[in-house]
Amino acid sequence: MTYGSDFDGGAAFSGGGFMPSPPTQTADPSPSAFSKNRDTQTLIPLTAKQINKALLSNDDKVNFIIDGVDVSNVKLVGMVLEKDDRVTNVSFFLDDGTGRIECNRWIQDPVDTKEMNSIMNGMYVRVHGQIKGFQGKKQLVVFGIKPVTEFDEITHHFVECIYVHSYNTKLMKQKASISNQTHTPGSAVKTQAYKTAPSNQFTAHYGVHHGVEGVEKMVLDYLMFPASLAREKGVHQDELVSQLGIPLDRIKAAINFLMEEAAVYDVDDVHYKAAANA
Amino acid sequence: MDTQNPAVLVNGDLLRNYVGTRVRTVIQVVRPDAGGLTGRSTDEKQIVVKGTLPSPLTTFVEVIGVADTAQSIRAEIVTNFGDAFDTNNFNQLCQLANGDYRHLFI
Repeated sequence: MTYGSDFDGGAAFSGGGFMPSPPTQTADPSPSAFSKNRDTQTLIPLTAKQINKALLSNDDKVNFIIDGVDVSNVKLVGMVLEKDDRVTNVSFFLDDGTGRIECNRWIQDPVDTKEMNSIMNGMYVRVHGQIKGFQGKKQLVVFGIKPVTEFDEITHHFVECIYVHSYNTKLMKQKASISNQTHTPGSAVKTQAYKTAPSNQFTAHYGVHHGVEGVEKMVLDYLMFPASLAREKGVHQDELVSQLGIPLDRIKAAINFLMEEAAVYDVDDVHYKAAANA
Repeated sequence: MDTQNPAVLVNGDLLRNYVGTRVRTVIQVVRPDAGGLTGRSTDEKQIVVKGTLPSPLTTFVEVIGVADTAQSIRAEIVTNFGDAFDTNNFNQLCQLANGDYRHLFI
């Protein structure tokens, strides 16, 4: 149910968790592009306050939108209150300190009954389910409920809510700024990738130096550091050897290449500086 | 939580900003007192809790109640939080929940 315990950066941000949609769908910027497809429904951790404040999506008037993301399956952690056992369902309030949500767990078989019997008032639980609106109030149809046994989970859930909120609002801002520019298919993909920002920075500097690779790239990167650029005398080639852990002959070969490309110039026989300014 | 009012996540330092309002925090039990207990907040401040306690008490408890003073809480609910709890995490969460991300919580 959760987005997995092994944190593979690429997989974590490519549709496994709280991402609104896989990259291929973002070429179409309209909201309906990432709503009803079952494959892209994700489980979002939320606080009761966020749910109570959520607005109905304009498209279908059934789903809710929080931070620009269609929200249906949600996870909450809080205290069970006013548990009411009935024949076909069990209802209770979940209070997580930020607000209260009415919850409903439909009973279909003995397993469900057993699960609900172990839940008491005053107990902290982890709940996941679907948000439904009913007569202006939000309700949660509960799929699963488990008692919290290690209370670090409460801290973790709230931190997760903060993270997802922060990620989705940043994504919203990026989408807004992209839709203001001329839209090209390639650029849409960039908003999904977590690590895009730093590499944009470097390509701007390299310009003609697309072919720079390996040792040359490492040397150029080092010389492009603000600390290196700030030094009038430049960087001694021995420093490049010791900092990069590369033998002198390869460093010198790289430097010669970079000098031919006019990316680097020599201050004297052994000191070098990057030609481009940061 | 008896009322519908939300409870602000606080540590020792933040408690003084919310005197008279409903708060919640996790503290380490130092010793039980008459009528409550004395505890240490996740940022190493002393907090006095007045109210009924669960028995037996674990090392950490969550206290939800109204802040009487900058160092004491009149508890409505006290919950055992076990003997292992990451105080650093909780402390930082309090700062975030009262800072940039207040709007998610209160």
